[in-house]
Amino acid sequence: MVSNVIPVIKKELKSYFNSPIAYVLVVTFLVFSSVWVFYLQTFFASNIASLRSFFSVIPIVFIIVMPALTMRSWAEEKKLGTLEVLLTLPFRESTLVLGKFIAALGLLLIMILLTLPLPLLLSRFGDFDWGEILGQYIGVVLLGAAGISVGLFISSLMSNQISSFLISLFVLLVLTLISQVNIVFALPPWAAAVVNFLSFGHHFSNFQRGLIDTRDLLYYGIVSALFLYLNTKTLVFKKW
Amino acid sequence: MIEASNLGKRYGTLEAVRGVNFSINPGEVVGLLGPNGAGKTTIMKILTCYMFPSSGSATVNGWDIFERPLEIKKLVGYLPENAPLYTDLNVLEYLSFMAESRSLKGNAKTERIEWAVEECGLKSVVYRSIDTISKGFRQRTGLAQAILHDPEILVLDEPTTGLDPNQIIEVRELIKRLGKEKTVILSTHILQEVEATCGRVLILNEGQIVAKGSPEEINREMKGEVLLDLVLKGDKEPSGVDRVSGVRDLLKSSSSADGLHQLKIALLPDSGAEEGVFDWAVKEGYKILSMIPKRLSLEELFIKLTREGKE
Repeated sequence: MVSNVIPVIKKELKSYFNSPIAYVLVVTFLVFSSVWVFYLQTFFASNIASLRSFFSVIPIVFIIVMPALTMRSWAEEKKLGTLEVLLTLPFRESTLVLGKFIAALGLLLIMILLTLPLPLLLSRFGDFDWGEILGQYIGVVLLGAAGISVGLFISSLMSNQISSFLISLFVLLVLTLISQVNIVFALPPWAAAVVNFLSFGHHFSNFQRGLIDTRDLLYYGIVSALFLYLNTKTLVFKKW
Repeated sequence: MIEASNLGKRYGTLEAVRGVNFSINPGEVVGLLGPNGAGKTTIMKILTCYMFPSSGSATVNGWDIFERPLEIKKLVGYLPENAPLYTDLNVLEYLSFMAESRSLKGNAKTERIEWAVEECGLKSVVYRSIDTISKGFRQRTGLAQAILHDPEILVLDEPTTGLDPNQIIEVRELIKRLGKEKTVILSTHILQEVEATCGRVLILNEGQIVAKGSPEEINREMKGEVLLDLVLKGDKEPSGVDRVSGVRDLLKSSSSADGLHQLKIALLPDSGAEEGVFDWAVKEGYKILSMIPKRLSLEELFIKLTREGKE
């Protein structure tokens, strides 16, 4: 059954690269992150050999990138009617969900790999902590995986990619920034803990400093698995 | 090969299919015929395991649709209504994906794709993006996808929509050829299609089967009734034709000022009442200007059956 997922991944990736969406996303992401690091965060002027300023903005950027990456996946299949073909092919629902997830993650990895020249070029000017950078990159992938799962699930509920985009954007905005509530209000400690636990942004704060904490790993893993599971259930439920 | 028992499907308050029973033998070409909204597409969606019925059950090749959907899906080639396709792929990429989804690899994959492209006349568009090809090519790409893996059962939802007359004939030929070794279910609201391709017809209306049989059987069951269009010339109003033996009914009679009378008469099947009518007209002193027998076509039958359901 696992080998079965490969045609789905291939088809999804072809769809991404046959339409302008992949290119637009990748270029926008790269341009924005460079502008952010060099102009807005004045990387050279701050004179610190660290990419924290770059990674600190990633959760915010992903609030827009992830919905754009996943909005078409199910919504467009429904609109075109191709879902009917897809669901009458000999695939399990979970295989289809997994295929779409891996393809979106693949595109995300390409995007992330293309930011590698940033630390590589800058390494001439200072002594970077490569362990920290590795931790930061792992965090970005995990954060992305969780965002993709949420986006795919929401796309499976919609039949229009624009509404899928907007709702995913809203959900990710809330999930990412909810921990900011603790800065503004003095919540009781338990409520503050719950708010932090739920937040995409809060769990990224350790990764942002290059620290890998098992709790954060588990959090992103569970969120991804949960939404992929819900996505599969939506497909099965639709048969009734 | 396919058994449906008491199949029903509800969408909210709408009952799309209500307690439909039928069975289809291997190698049969069966047409589902009915107006839009009669439940043809829903039945196909259930048989291809796209959705579950709300009531009743069905088996395909002895497999229950609830229990063995994966096996059934392998056995079936399905062309949904309007042939939905991935518009951002080209034809070859699309067929290639479909072939791989059907576990075709390497040489087998190439051969099957070449065969399907040939059969469906897609050679000129294999490298074109699907959103740039015409409706006819799209329809045939959908068909190519359905026959790609040499399925034992073909389910085709309105396979000839959007095709021009030549392509329609080609596709019907293809279906007939495939139907020699495969079980085919096709839906249509075009009657000639059924007469041209199907060995058996299920006529559906409002979610129920209102008639079934071979096209000829249905024609006969429709009492193979002969309608006689008669134009007579004479001075008096015609009367008494309904007493001629073998005449079932005088359906219409109208006279114009210049002594022309138009009559529409229904005759009992195989009664040979045409002669009786002729003799009657001569005896009454009419000149027969025309006498045209008509068989009720499947088309009129269809209209009659589906209207009766409504009343």
